[in-house]
Amino acid sequence: MSNQEKPVKISKQLRLKAHEFLSSRKNSEHLLSIVRHFESGADLSSCLLTLELIFTNLLKDRDMYIEVVPLKPIEKTETNQYKEWLRNLYENCFSKILESFENDSNKIQIQGLSTAMNIISYEGKFPLENRGNLECYVPLNRLKPVLMKLLSNKHNNVHLINKYTEYLLYSDILFFSWKLLPSLTAKTNPNETYIMNYLRLLEKLELRKPDEQQTLCGNETGDFFTFDESVPLRALNKVWHCVMLWEHSPQTHKQLLIVLLERALPHLEKPLFLTDFLMDSLDVGGPVSLLALQGIFTMIQVHNLNYPNIFAKLYSMFEPEIFHTKYKARLFYLSDLFLSSTHLPENLVAAFAKRLARLALIAPSEDVVIICMFIGNLILRHPGLKCLLNNPTEGTASSDPYIMEERDPVKSNAINSSLWELKSLQQHSIPSVATAARFINSPLPTIEWDLSRILDETGDDIFDKEVKKHGKLIALAFDKSHDQILHYWNI
Amino acid sequence: MKPRKKPEKNAPNPFEIHINKQKMTVLGQKNKNDRGLPGVSRAKALKKRKETLLQEYKLQNKSNKFTDRRIGERSRDLTSEDKLMARFTALRKKAHKKSIFNLADDEVLTHKGQTLAEIEKFDDPRSDNEDSDEDKSGKLDSAFVGDAHFGGGVLRKTGKEGAKTHRELIDELIAESKKRKAEKQRTKEATLELTEKLDTEWKDLLPLVSRAQKGEPDKGAVDDYDKVMRELRFEARGTVSDRLKSEDEVAQEEKQRLEELEEKRRERMRGFEPKTQKHRSADDLDDDVYEADPEYMLSYNTEGEANVEIGAEINGKTVGGEESDEEEECEEEEEEQSDDDLADLKAETSDESDEETEAKATKTDVVAKTDETSADLPFTFALPDSYEALQQLLDDKSSRQQATILERMVKCNHPSLAEKNKNGLGTLFVYLLQYLNDCASEKSAARLFEIYKSLAPHIFDLAQLNKENTHSSMLEVIKEKHDEFKKRPKDFPGLELLVFFKLVSLLFTTSDFRHQVVTPCFVFIEQILNKCKIKSGKDIAYGIFLVTLVLEYTSLSKRVLPTAINYLGGILHMAIPKCGVKLIKVNPPFKPTTSSLVLVEKSCEDCDFKMEASDLERDEINDSFKIRAIYTVLRLVQDFDNNLVSLPSNVEIFNDIRAYLELLPTRNYPKKVADLFESVSQQLKNRKVERKLEYIVLAAKRPKALRLYEPKIVEVFDGKKRKIQSREKAERDKLLHKLKKETKGALREIRRDKAFLGRVKIHQRIQSDNERKEKVKRIYAEASIQQSELNSLDRKKKRK
Repeated sequence: MSNQEKPVKISKQLRLKAHEFLSSRKNSEHLLSIVRHFESGADLSSCLLTLELIFTNLLKDRDMYIEVVPLKPIEKTETNQYKEWLRNLYENCFSKILESFENDSNKIQIQGLSTAMNIISYEGKFPLENRGNLECYVPLNRLKPVLMKLLSNKHNNVHLINKYTEYLLYSDILFFSWKLLPSLTAKTNPNETYIMNYLRLLEKLELRKPDEQQTLCGNETGDFFTFDESVPLRALNKVWHCVMLWEHSPQTHKQLLIVLLERALPHLEKPLFLTDFLMDSLDVGGPVSLLALQGIFTMIQVHNLNYPNIFAKLYSMFEPEIFHTKYKARLFYLSDLFLSSTHLPENLVAAFAKRLARLALIAPSEDVVIICMFIGNLILRHPGLKCLLNNPTEGTASSDPYIMEERDPVKSNAINSSLWELKSLQQHSIPSVATAARFINSPLPTIEWDLSRILDETGDDIFDKEVKKHGKLIALAFDKSHDQILHYWNI
Repeated sequence: MKPRKKPEKNAPNPFEIHINKQKMTVLGQKNKNDRGLPGVSRAKALKKRKETLLQEYKLQNKSNKFTDRRIGERSRDLTSEDKLMARFTALRKKAHKKSIFNLADDEVLTHKGQTLAEIEKFDDPRSDNEDSDEDKSGKLDSAFVGDAHFGGGVLRKTGKEGAKTHRELIDELIAESKKRKAEKQRTKEATLELTEKLDTEWKDLLPLVSRAQKGEPDKGAVDDYDKVMRELRFEARGTVSDRLKSEDEVAQEEKQRLEELEEKRRERMRGFEPKTQKHRSADDLDDDVYEADPEYMLSYNTEGEANVEIGAEINGKTVGGEESDEEEECEEEEEEQSDDDLADLKAETSDESDEETEAKATKTDVVAKTDETSADLPFTFALPDSYEALQQLLDDKSSRQQATILERMVKCNHPSLAEKNKNGLGTLFVYLLQYLNDCASEKSAARLFEIYKSLAPHIFDLAQLNKENTHSSMLEVIKEKHDEFKKRPKDFPGLELLVFFKLVSLLFTTSDFRHQVVTPCFVFIEQILNKCKIKSGKDIAYGIFLVTLVLEYTSLSKRVLPTAINYLGGILHMAIPKCGVKLIKVNPPFKPTTSSLVLVEKSCEDCDFKMEASDLERDEINDSFKIRAIYTVLRLVQDFDNNLVSLPSNVEIFNDIRAYLELLPTRNYPKKVADLFESVSQQLKNRKVERKLEYIVLAAKRPKALRLYEPKIVEVFDGKKRKIQSREKAERDKLLHKLKKETKGALREIRRDKAFLGRVKIHQRIQSDNERKEKVKRIYAEASIQQSELNSLDRKKKRK
């Protein structure tokens, strides 16, 4: 009970003190006591709120603004001295607020960021110096330390960066973040935490100006802030050169590829320089190579890259492990894109169909459904593959002509095989899978199956669907005969 | 004056109408586009373009524009004073706008001139309905209407003719109707008054009436004769019964019943496989079909395919007529085309079954034994009212006693004894499930399975007594367990789930293609085997139990669950000693580095090597467990292989296992295990050698049936032919057609827009050219006048 009451009381006290200080200049020792309380490290979040209240009000009332007349020394009046003192205190406190970013509690970190950004907003509206002719003034000397703290090399700042995204909706903050970014980029090899933070921030930074023209630091009179779209582009290109030179761990490598694909690739000046990087990534295996594959696909499609062995690479990605990764859906989506061309050789596509069918023999049932439809689509696109379902010779074979171990799809001799796997899968225990494999029994439809509908289906979905199926039929066993389990278990 | 304008509008100038020629006329066909008004529609389009496109064109390359929002500024027929007035009223209105949040000064709402508060006293009991009824009669009478309306008065000659003008007539009409309404009102009030009066009087009379009724004497005593007669009349008469059946006949019937059930089970197992069609000669008269399915009329569509599957088996006709309705509905579904198994219910759970099965033998055995041990138990048991009561009854009893209690309980409360017993036994079934569930958490695994084994036969009997309940409660249990599993998908669930899965295989036919309880179980088992991380010995045992269950489920239907075989492979992989850097590949959830089942020391143990219930609880893995696990897995592999031998991809399915078997050293295992090992690997190798694969060939298309010379009858003929195609395809075709039409339309519009703009431009050009010409002309004219003046001045000078 008392624990509950204490913070409420303290925050009330602090607020009271702040109001007293603001109402009269004589109560300056209140401010000092608040600052001391803040430095002591207790009740950080209410201290932060109080400081925010004090400084925003001071900035609004221009209590720290010292009139500077050119070519004239500043008068040593009492007011000016007081103002000088306030300003020093302000500088101090701001750096202290930034230190709260390293606090253990996420809540206080986020509170600190919002306090800092609020103060920046007020300082932008009521600058401390004569701001000259600048239309919109953003206190860069404040914004830069904020960004530096965000790109810390000690802490993982996911929450803070997510919070900062809210401020990036303001076009001025976005613009100046881009402008500051090249100067904050490490030139030599930074550590992994820094890279992760950096890439996360980079992922959030938009390149175009936001749809709604909002400014954080502009005042209400409606000064228009002009967003020069070439600045972010230049900054991105500059930054990207540095980023590529860093040494990447597998984790950051993946993040780098994600940022590259989602943000950077369309805006780079010379994307073909990335080819080597993508090729190397392709050999890493797992999700990284999948992402690289997507990058290469874009390069082939947009930038006219010629890469002869791409299908062999794609072919080698279909391994049993793929069904247990998160990137399964992406792989199916990508290979659907790759194989959508109708000008591919038939034996190549047949190899893909056959390999997928083999994998279906060990895949979880939700994937078997996808694979069945995928193979069906392949056959629809390449009518030559119909020989997999309808062999012209009608004979028997002693073994499957298809060679699973062959790495080159063209040499795997798949076109002379038949899709026996699908025939076997018709005996699958789960009826939805068995029905999916049934398509080979009847003439093929003319429209392709829609894969996107089922790509994200899980085993739980299949369970729910089966449970919901209502039939009137209730089939109970009529003899108690089979108790096969007793052959294996002493129970 | 106004009505005259209307017909003019409807009938356009005949010279403007363009009649589209039709190539051929179809009787009864209505065509919307047989005539058009090209001039009118062109003018309309032009107007629209002037309003939209022209405006845009004028504003092209301009960044802003003025809009005049002043009231009445743009309408021409308002005078300046009117405008001022309008603006002033708008201003006043704005000032008087009421706030919707201010609830205090509300207006008084009224209904029919009365305030709502007044109405809400409800002192007038008459409803609105009565009012409206009376309104009907408050209308003018027919004679007056006949006289006054529809020119009635014109035809009839009366003395007053000509005296009445139209005006007078109307006045009379109004007066008449008012008079009638007043009369109505008066009578209504009078009746109301009378009713109220009657009510009060009746209340005074009420005590008198009730006293009179009480005083009525009883009916005379019933005559003995009547009583006897009635009794005799309602006495049950003896019905004609079948003669008692001999034992042979009973056995024969039982055999027939079982055969029928088996046949139906097979049908369900086949699931989607097409039914074999009987051969029918061309001049088959379809006699039998009509007899079988009186509901369906045989007809053919345009493709010549029949709507009734000819030769479909006539299901369950011999079982009994009472389920025929259900059968017919079921037959429409292709996948579950068997009829309701009501015959199951009829089966008495008698022990004199024709085939003495193993389980039954054990059951009677158990019962025989209990006779001595449970003599101290009471002979009758009531159904427990709550779960706690049952728990109390069963706790601290040996499993034999429990079985006896349950048996007696079911016997005492058999549904044939009382109506409500059926529901009571249903609840008992649910309580038993709950009991098993609790046993799993409280007792050891061995004890759990002992309890299960003793209870199972009785649970089976219970299930047969109330099968809807069995079905729904089992499904609920499985669903609940699955929800629990979803929260922690990486851990193996509790032992009770194994018991429930076992119970499913006991109670339901697991061989069905799709079964409402069994299929979800399959999905569930697959998920457990796929996702759960194997950390200890009990996890291995749990998985092996599940795989055994899969074998039991599929032993009849010969279906394949790849995950189960993958699991067996994974266990074998765990027993391979890993040496060196070369990784042996294994599929998830197994890891390529684990080797916890490797047998290091030589063991000569000899027993039957079955898995024990206690294996499901123990964490550590000892040598005995290793041997038993491998032995069981090998036997399972053998049985799965035998089960799936008919599949064309049998070899590929066991590819991994074959590879692992080659890598597995056998020298440390006891002889029995090593022998089995040899035989299994030999069997798998033989499968590869003896393999005969038939290439897949699509079934040749069946020849189309000849078109019948029967008229095709459509219920509502609208002159259109409809294609028979799937819904998706029809939708796609429709969309494609629409797209084509819209594209054409858009292109046409764009073309016309372009032409319109061209016209506007050329018009502007001509105008500006004309202006220029005029200007030049004017300048020339001025210049020539000037020149002439100059000339004349010159001439004057010269003259001088």
